[in-house]
Amino acid sequence: MKKLSSGAEAILYEDGDVVIKYRKKKSYRIKEIDEPIRYHRTKAEFQALKRCNETGINVPSPIKISKEGDKLYMSKIDGKQMDYSFSLSNMSQIGEMVASMHTEGVIHGDLTTANILINRSGAVIIDFGLSYFSRKDEDRATDIAMLKSALRSRHPKEAEDAYRLFIASYRKRLGKEFKGVETHLKDIERRRRYHENG
Amino acid sequence: MYVLGIESTAHTFGAGVVKDGKILSNERDTYKPKQGGIIPNEAAHHHYMLAPEIIRRSLKKANVSMDKIDIFAVSQGPGLMPCLRVGYQISRFLSDKFNKKIIGVNHCIAHIEIARRSTGLMDPVMLYVSGGNTQVITYENGRYIVFGETQDIGVGNMIDKIGRKMGIPFPAGPIIEDLSKKGKNYIKLPYSIKGMDVSFSGMETFVSRLLNTKKKEDLCFSIQETAFAMLIEASERAMAYCKKESLVITGGVAGNDRLNEMGRIMCKERGAKFVRMEKEFSGDNGAMIAYTGYLMRDYETMDVTPLPTYRTDAVEIKYR
Repeated sequence: MKKLSSGAEAILYEDGDVVIKYRKKKSYRIKEIDEPIRYHRTKAEFQALKRCNETGINVPSPIKISKEGDKLYMSKIDGKQMDYSFSLSNMSQIGEMVASMHTEGVIHGDLTTANILINRSGAVIIDFGLSYFSRKDEDRATDIAMLKSALRSRHPKEAEDAYRLFIASYRKRLGKEFKGVETHLKDIERRRRYHENG
Repeated sequence: MYVLGIESTAHTFGAGVVKDGKILSNERDTYKPKQGGIIPNEAAHHHYMLAPEIIRRSLKKANVSMDKIDIFAVSQGPGLMPCLRVGYQISRFLSDKFNKKIIGVNHCIAHIEIARRSTGLMDPVMLYVSGGNTQVITYENGRYIVFGETQDIGVGNMIDKIGRKMGIPFPAGPIIEDLSKKGKNYIKLPYSIKGMDVSFSGMETFVSRLLNTKKKEDLCFSIQETAFAMLIEASERAMAYCKKESLVITGGVAGNDRLNEMGRIMCKERGAKFVRMEKEFSGDNGAMIAYTGYLMRDYETMDVTPLPTYRTDAVEIKYR
């Protein structure tokens, strides 16, 4: 087994065509908090990947969860993390993917450019550890607001254009349901403690 | 060059003097409501009454007279309007009277700058935690960007609200910290992290319902463990995503030992650096306003009208 990378939350190992994602123990958290979180997120990720994979959304295909509950086995995906290979040309496709994901009832929960891989076939969404099932407009809007602030903090120069491309194709794919999401998007920005309009 | 900084955004009135970037004095007094939470007009009254004495003390400690001050810096927001107005009026009066420059400082950025100075970390992720504010901040392209923040109430506010229901006077943080050391049993509380953001009002409601059935000590222990784990997780996400190699914790809640311990452990595990802030400068104070005013000394004269919802990312940073 080869170590692929080590992120904030998990270590990735490679074993042939299989990637094993191991959620590390976090010593700053007491065991009573740490263990349920790691098991819960591993399971949530498995379920979300399964749903997306079945409906043809570009994500790794899940294989199994280890007996202990802290390792997820999935198919290996080639590609570069989008925060390292940022390009506006992928934003429309990402908008469509996120809309399809939302239509399937999956909320990603951590939508940043680090959690999107880019390869020859386009974008692949990864890292579903904070995902959950919901069809609420508010939860959909939370996903989008997160991507928006990730764009702003990591790609400040391109953020505005990137978001515009994203939201245009998201709106188109989601159709009628977009109206409700839009209302909540505005609401989320207003709810943050200090928004631009006082 | 002397800068006098005035802080009056919320509970604390503070005045500090900085000479060429060196802190000479840092005087303050904090309004404590007799019961319940902050009443903005009462806090403002407290500030009006004590301002002359605190400013005088600050000048005396710095061994400088008012006419030698080159720049008056004032905490312009975010904060409570009646409180902000005190600092505004005093600094406007002084700058007019002595015909000196006045600089409006963003309160959150002052916390960041004094934290960088206090810890010597040049480009850290900053976890800014106080009563009103909970933000994870990084520096990118001439701005401090709020990477994650609370979607509802600040972590200190959550602690104060629960403290009040337990009969603990403001500020509840230190007493809750003591009680938590005697807690042994963890009670499962909502762990609410939404990507980069956190939220605390759910925890507040949840704990409020348990007040009569669970031991205070266990509740305090569980609140600290859960809330701080959320904050440290959000900070780690920011560090990983923005490729930053160090962390500082600032704001009133930065006085908590357990929060600092968790930050230290997290950083150690990822090979990053952690330096604890000096307690004197982590809560609201005038020296941080003076120091940031000093950094901004070359900014053009500006309108310093209070901005109660002044955002951290609204300020262009020209001195970094």
